[in-house]
Amino acid sequence: MKPGTRLKSTVCTTEVMVIRAGQGTIECGGKPMAEAAQPEGEPDAAHAGGTLIGKRYIDAAETFELLCVKPGKGSLAVDGVPMSTKDAKPLPASD
Amino acid sequence: MGKVMEGVRVLEVAQFTFVPAAGAILADWGADVIKIEHPKRGDTQRGFLNMGGVQLDPLRHTLMEHPNRGKRSVGLDFTSAQGQELLYELARQCDVFLTNYLPHQRQKYKFDLEHIRAANPDIIYARGSAWGDKGPERDVGGFDGTAFWSRSGIADCFSPPELDGPLSQGMQAFGDSIGGMFIAGGISAALYHREKTGEAKELDVSLLSTANWASGANLAQAMETGVITRNTMPQSGSASKNPFMGNFRTSDGRTINLCLVSPTGLIADTFAHVGRPEAANDPRFADVLSLVENARAASDILVEAFAQKPFAYWREHLRTMKGQWAPILTLLELVEEEQVKANDHVIEVEAADGGKPLKLVRGPVQWDHEPLETTRAPQAAEHTELVLMEMGIEWDRIEQLKSDGAIA
Repeated sequence: MKPGTRLKSTVCTTEVMVIRAGQGTIECGGKPMAEAAQPEGEPDAAHAGGTLIGKRYIDAAETFELLCVKPGKGSLAVDGVPMSTKDAKPLPASD
Repeated sequence: MGKVMEGVRVLEVAQFTFVPAAGAILADWGADVIKIEHPKRGDTQRGFLNMGGVQLDPLRHTLMEHPNRGKRSVGLDFTSAQGQELLYELARQCDVFLTNYLPHQRQKYKFDLEHIRAANPDIIYARGSAWGDKGPERDVGGFDGTAFWSRSGIADCFSPPELDGPLSQGMQAFGDSIGGMFIAGGISAALYHREKTGEAKELDVSLLSTANWASGANLAQAMETGVITRNTMPQSGSASKNPFMGNFRTSDGRTINLCLVSPTGLIADTFAHVGRPEAANDPRFADVLSLVENARAASDILVEAFAQKPFAYWREHLRTMKGQWAPILTLLELVEEEQVKANDHVIEVEAADGGKPLKLVRGPVQWDHEPLETTRAPQAAEHTELVLMEMGIEWDRIEQLKSDGAIA
């Protein structure tokens, strides 16, 4: 999978940009994502946590990194294993 | 569309509110503002999740949104040599470099004036600091609570002497937001100057200089007369020589402010509006000079009159009054005001959590009567690859920088 490729969910409105990809199938809502897709149906209930715009999603080994450019109801996975968001870890602070 | 800064590119290496707010104003005005954030932690302000006792959702982080809307975020580690080299490459393609890092940090991480100018001699270099870029404390940090509010004399002036101690700022990022606009104004003038003469300026705004300008009228008077004018304790009635200056309590405990600095020609109208038209015929209040002499008596009449009717009555009834007045409102009452809506003070941006839009406040300048359209603040490092590709960095190098931890 070429970095910079845009993938669409086949079951929701999610769109991602591939930043990094290893071996495996990128899925959204339990179904493989595709470069051209018209979403139909519903995300699999086990993969329906939703995606957040502007967030980066990584697998545990960080061989995959996706940037969500359009959010949707499905959640992202590689070969069925859910991806997690790569979040900034700011220092604790309070006013 | 009021995008007067279209075509201007700003490289922002800054955190918190004061200096980022300058970037936000420029972004509101159409500049392409690239915010550099630490690849792992992001802007330290992202960790400010407890503000004024309210817990904030990191995806609906209003204190991040206010000074960062309309920008793009690049995760770049300027503590590494690779990160610094990349920063210079970005600086070459930018018009303005904007920072609030302390002098020793700018030196240590090599993005001080000489380093950035070596990359781009034509770049405008804008610094925001707590205390100013000269003097023995130039390398000391501060927030608006310290520099703008506490040390500046503002806390002292706002706090009536009868209180046990000075009031705290009581308004998040108050000095920061004012000062950010000052920096944006300075940058605008520097851009104009560069356009006319080709010369790129460096400029400084500090939170202390922001405070001193904001309190400049009072400060000048204090220096001239030796007398510091301070706040007085809240009361219903005027504490001044002018009885039409002050706060007046309504029957339901709310407050109307009268501010008739120059009461000439307004005495009868004012007494009539508070339901005491007969007072205008009282020789004690016949003209401004006698009104001032009998200020206490006039104020007492107003106090008694305002206490007869509720706030809602006065808000409606005083609409036709010629003198200047205002209701004391809360922030949430304010945003429901027709006048605020008519002037587009509140803007909406898409929220990062996909929920209801976030409401933010537009900058104080409006162009061509048009409302502001902008985008939400970026997630940390949201646009790294997009910006770098746009700036001509090849993908192989992006990958390399990423695996080396220089970018995120």
